[in-house]
Amino acid sequence: MLKINDLKASVNSKAILNGLNLNINAGEVHAIMGPNGSGKSTLANILSGKSGYSISGSIKYNEEDLNSLPIEERAQKGIFLAFQYPLEIPGVNTNNFLKTALNTIKKARGEDELDTLTFLKLVKEKAQELGIDEKFLSRQLNVGFSGGEKKKNEILQMKLFNPKLSILDETDSGLDIDALKIVAEGVNSSKNDNNAFLIITHYQRLLDYIKPDFIHVLSKGKIIKTGNSELGEELEKSGYANL
Amino acid sequence: MSNLEFNIKDIENISKEEKKLREENLHHFKQIGFPSKKLEDWKFTDLNQIIEKNFNNLDSNYSSKGINNIKKIKDFKHNSITLVNGILKTNDFEHEDKDKIKINKYEEKILKRDEKSNPLINLNNALFDGGYCLKIANDYKFSKPLIIYNHFSDNLENKILNNKNLINLGDNSELEIIEISSDIEKGNFIQNNYTSVNIGENSNLKSYILQSCKSNGFFYKFLKGSLGNRSNYDELILSSGLKFNRIEENIDILGEEANCSIQSALFLNKDSHQEIKTKINHLKPNSKSYQKIKNVLNDNCKGIYQGKIYVKDVAQKTNAYQLSKALLLNDTSEFNAKPELEIYADDVKCSHGSTSGSINEDSIYYLMTRGIRRKNAIELLTKAFLSEIISSISNSEIKIFLEKYLDKQIYEY
Repeated sequence: MLKINDLKASVNSKAILNGLNLNINAGEVHAIMGPNGSGKSTLANILSGKSGYSISGSIKYNEEDLNSLPIEERAQKGIFLAFQYPLEIPGVNTNNFLKTALNTIKKARGEDELDTLTFLKLVKEKAQELGIDEKFLSRQLNVGFSGGEKKKNEILQMKLFNPKLSILDETDSGLDIDALKIVAEGVNSSKNDNNAFLIITHYQRLLDYIKPDFIHVLSKGKIIKTGNSELGEELEKSGYANL
Repeated sequence: MSNLEFNIKDIENISKEEKKLREENLHHFKQIGFPSKKLEDWKFTDLNQIIEKNFNNLDSNYSSKGINNIKKIKDFKHNSITLVNGILKTNDFEHEDKDKIKINKYEEKILKRDEKSNPLINLNNALFDGGYCLKIANDYKFSKPLIIYNHFSDNLENKILNNKNLINLGDNSELEIIEISSDIEKGNFIQNNYTSVNIGENSNLKSYILQSCKSNGFFYKFLKGSLGNRSNYDELILSSGLKFNRIEENIDILGEEANCSIQSALFLNKDSHQEIKTKINHLKPNSKSYQKIKNVLNDNCKGIYQGKIYVKDVAQKTNAYQLSKALLLNDTSEFNAKPELEIYADDVKCSHGSTSGSINEDSIYYLMTRGIRRKNAIELLTKAFLSEIISSISNSEIKIFLEKYLDKQIYEY
């Protein structure tokens, strides 16, 4: 599904990624761990299409060159980024936003758009699964939401849009243990043979609930080690310094 | 403009005395001509230059005959007044007690020479032809809103229309007015309008002014208002950017505990020039004024807000608030704000603020990562920025109508 080959990225001539290689197949869950400043969020941003980076190397997404796709087309084709810091957008009603986004994506995929009633039913159902109070949906997007509520709102979007590749950028940070479980359950219940997850995190904590198939350690813009879930536990004990 | 050959003699049925006053006003106008940047009040708007660029041989002779079939809105039940080229044509107050309402062509003869430094008012005084005169009795609350259909014909190329309107709302009365301007005319024209609004004690007047960018009109409106004790005036301007639009308001709060609110949601599309200039005069104690002007500016647009709050020495406990916010969608647009406070009382609360900035790229990025195209993301953010103004409307029918109107302005230009 995703093939990253020798990816280098810099901002204002400061190198952040230094030849990163990563393959993700459908049905897999990958976790990327690494110390602060190792380039984790940069990788997530580049995959979602954020501008401002000088990039070399290749990123293939379902055999297509990802770098040439505009941001919104990546989303329409199934790439979803759950933001580390979801934005507050005053004046934009959450439900309206969700419906606009969902229907845009559906339209691009050649699916039927949802009418308001069907949409509301669907969003209510998904919100309930995540323990999101319905009243949040009629509020302005993320405005006045707590850190945990914002993160849950990201997972709600993930569940609604039904992406092929979900990238979770430190979704666990700022979550209490109950919210963490709900978010993890959100991921686990969405998992199937046709989609894949890339989970970026600092801590082993989230990986206690979402079992990754692979854990990669990112350091200084490169993956320096890849292992299975035991690697996470090892890191939790001994830290990144020993690698 | 070099050609200012307007004359009074074509106006029918006027007394000698009125003719003299009109001539005096015309003389004042000709001395200054159309306002240019040289006048302090017009420092951001060189109307003379705008007219030079868009008109040749302006004249004030036009016909408004033979216009029928004006499309009415069907969203909610309402009373209506129809103006064609600024002149009162029809009215329909089917939902009201007609004994309480007097409507006729504007025929007030008194021409005070106020606002002397304003050449457009002089020109209006000299050449005006009646709009409407609406008088509402005491103790009468309208059961349905009144829509004023401001229709312009398509034979107005190079014409200037001068009209006057008057609204007198008695004591303990209530009225909601929606003014909708048509946008079907083919040639550039100018409307120079002078409207007086007088609100009696304990009365409420709500006024919504709707203008669409597709019009070829260049609009100037001067509104002179007065508020009695414990009265309320709420005005909301929704405009999507005309080639030229300046709304100037001079409101006297003559009563105690009166409230005046002026809000606007302006979406300036392309090459438009929109100015709001207000002067709120707090002349009695315990009154409130509230102004919130929101502008979104697209390609090559200029937005201006000049807001002055005047507080007389006796007007203690005045509470006056003024804020302008502008969102610039690209760097070819420009927004100017000039807030002014002139306060002679010592126990008052007055504040003003102004912000302008570009659209938040991070918000656009966020929305785009959800599959939304950049253009649509900007539309969503524009709507979000402006709809705050509409959210405070209490009449839900009008609120829904205005939401739709705003959507149309934003999404279908």
